[in-house]
Amino acid sequence: MRRVRAALTLAALASLTLTACGVGGSSAAGGDKAVATDAPLKGTVTFQTWSLKNDKFTPYFTALIKDFESRHPGTTVTWVDQPGDGYPDKVTSQVTGGSLPDVVNLPPDIAHSVAKVGGLLDLAKNVPTLSKDYVRSGLTAYTYGDLGTAATYGFPWYLGTDISLWNKGMLQRDGLDPANLPKTFDQLLAQAKVMHDRSGGKDYLMSRPPGLSDIVNSGTPLMTPDGKTFAFATPGAAAMLDKYTAAYAAGYLPSDVLTSTYEGNSALFNKQVVAWTTGGGNYIASTQQTNPSLVPQIVPSPALDTAPLYVQGLSVSSKSKNLPLALAFAQFATDNANQAAFVKLAPGYLPGTTAAADDPSYSKSDGTAQGDASVFAYQDMQNAVNFTPPVWTSAMDTYLNQQIALAMTGKESSAQALHNAQDRANQLLNQ
Amino acid sequence: MPSRPPRTHRRSTPWLLIAPALGWLAVFSLWPALNTAVLSFTNVHTLSGGQFIGPHNYQLMWQDPQLRDAIVNTLVFMAVCVPLLTFLPLLLALLVQRTLPFMGFFRTVFYFPVIASAVVVALIWQWLLDDRGLVNGLARQAGLVHSAVPFLTDRWLLLASAIALTVWKGLGYYMVLYLSALGNVRRELHEAAAVDGAGAVRRFWAVTVPGVRGTMALVSVLIAVSAMRVFTELYVLGGRTGGVGGQDVSLVMLIQQAAAGSDGRLGYASALSVFLFVLTVGPLLLLARWNRRTD
Repeated sequence: MRRVRAALTLAALASLTLTACGVGGSSAAGGDKAVATDAPLKGTVTFQTWSLKNDKFTPYFTALIKDFESRHPGTTVTWVDQPGDGYPDKVTSQVTGGSLPDVVNLPPDIAHSVAKVGGLLDLAKNVPTLSKDYVRSGLTAYTYGDLGTAATYGFPWYLGTDISLWNKGMLQRDGLDPANLPKTFDQLLAQAKVMHDRSGGKDYLMSRPPGLSDIVNSGTPLMTPDGKTFAFATPGAAAMLDKYTAAYAAGYLPSDVLTSTYEGNSALFNKQVVAWTTGGGNYIASTQQTNPSLVPQIVPSPALDTAPLYVQGLSVSSKSKNLPLALAFAQFATDNANQAAFVKLAPGYLPGTTAAADDPSYSKSDGTAQGDASVFAYQDMQNAVNFTPPVWTSAMDTYLNQQIALAMTGKESSAQALHNAQDRANQLLNQ
Repeated sequence: MPSRPPRTHRRSTPWLLIAPALGWLAVFSLWPALNTAVLSFTNVHTLSGGQFIGPHNYQLMWQDPQLRDAIVNTLVFMAVCVPLLTFLPLLLALLVQRTLPFMGFFRTVFYFPVIASAVVVALIWQWLLDDRGLVNGLARQAGLVHSAVPFLTDRWLLLASAIALTVWKGLGYYMVLYLSALGNVRRELHEAAAVDGAGAVRRFWAVTVPGVRGTMALVSVLIAVSAMRVFTELYVLGGRTGGVGGQDVSLVMLIQQAAAGSDGRLGYASALSVFLFVLTVGPLLLLARWNRRTD
């Protein structure tokens, strides 16, 4: 009898727990609301940025909000800024806690996770001029195949890319010509060998293991045309990985690029251990703050092969209690005039509006290295590609990096390592 | 003469006294454990409510290409740490038990790593064992090696380094437990054994070990449980992927990787947690059985 009673108690507890954790229900609906925009705006919304409250940007946001409030009397925009570290976790807790701000700065990958559970408003449904006002690459980043290609979940806010940056002094010391910089991965490999041989293995040109961007640059699409399956284990991608493996074995890359002590390409460039890195269009300006003695040595050039595209956008929470005001403010903050003023504070970035993309002033350098870098970034962005599909998760990335490390240390063939990573990614995709 | 309290009051008093502890246990231990078991049968993700999927997560677990490595690493870690951390602190306690000059200083020095944060300790060891670290530098200067010993890149050397770090950091803590237990071993027994002609080693096995057996069992259980949950040492020494190629991943690292990010697979991570719980209970039962038998 006692056992029966205990079993019944356990069953009751289990059923209570099942109810509490929400098993059996999903809250994916809610993003496809139609927002009425004809009534006058009033009330309050919260606007969240990501690590932008500082001496440089605070005056801009204060003026932006003041301008909006004066155009729409009776409205209040409360600005909150979250620290850079742990931002995805912060957004995750805001979504699960039901406290996501009305207008929020989300990069495409985080926006995808939030949109997937119905947390973001479909902008394509509510902004008829969306495709006319904003650049296609930016909108594409916020359009997700698995959620329907007719919906868009973010206003492109500002666009970034990576250009190449070279240490002129190191190149010359090892007999390389700063006027004849590599333009492709293969040229980079050739010059890495020269630098290694002439410096007796002390200087490095390359210092990063390959990733998704290298696979795409090898001519391999990451997914099948229908976007439902990963298919990057191709002979072309394996050949690329073979080249990295050979370079690593020959000592053209620092031995610790695969270990936990690897500081990163940019940090090693900053220490003048390596002569090449990639960075945003404002890299030189920021290096001026951190390591001014290095700046005269830096020569910028366009990215090798195809440049990556980084997009930041403003999204509107579908759970906002004041959707008309939230939508209006997000549009206002991302309109051409406000975006153009914003990126003036961050040289090397480009607004996400079509009007700004055609502005010829972005293609003129002031003659400085930073000016040249900004122009290269502008030129790169015309054909830049967002390499990371929104369905690519951190677990997939971890496994790919592990397999790449096994290949580069000779414990697995490149083809097998890519097959393993592809199989695992497809398995995770369907979970 | 004071009147006796009513019988019902007396019976409920102990329960009232332990009620806060029971409440704490229920809310922060039993409820999460039960919830984890339930979640392991769902496909819940970080941002989305899950649906009941039966034992699917457990089936997926066996297809996980890293599970085998994680089990092997975790069990090896435990199998080496338990005997080392059961006996070495006892020997250390015997050394510092004596009342000699500066013994307080030595006790403090041995205990010092216990106070330091696990992350800080692991970072220090990383600097020591890196290819360009102090150990390799000294070994090269002494002509012992020509190329760096791959402490942090070879699978087994990294695991051995993490074990060495754990033993070094845990020595002081368990030494204090043994110091208190050694105080209860009767001096007359040692004297009697000495009179009977027993040397130091014989007295250690015949008198000291039986005298602290209870503490040894407790220490073994504590080490076994914490060894099964090894994470920080491998994470800091080997990196977030668990060493080169993820070969040094532990079960807790697998759980962390599965649950991380806004796309975290909480249902799957829960299944791994339940598996880890079951795996931990096994060695504990063995240790408890060994303790009963030796008693």
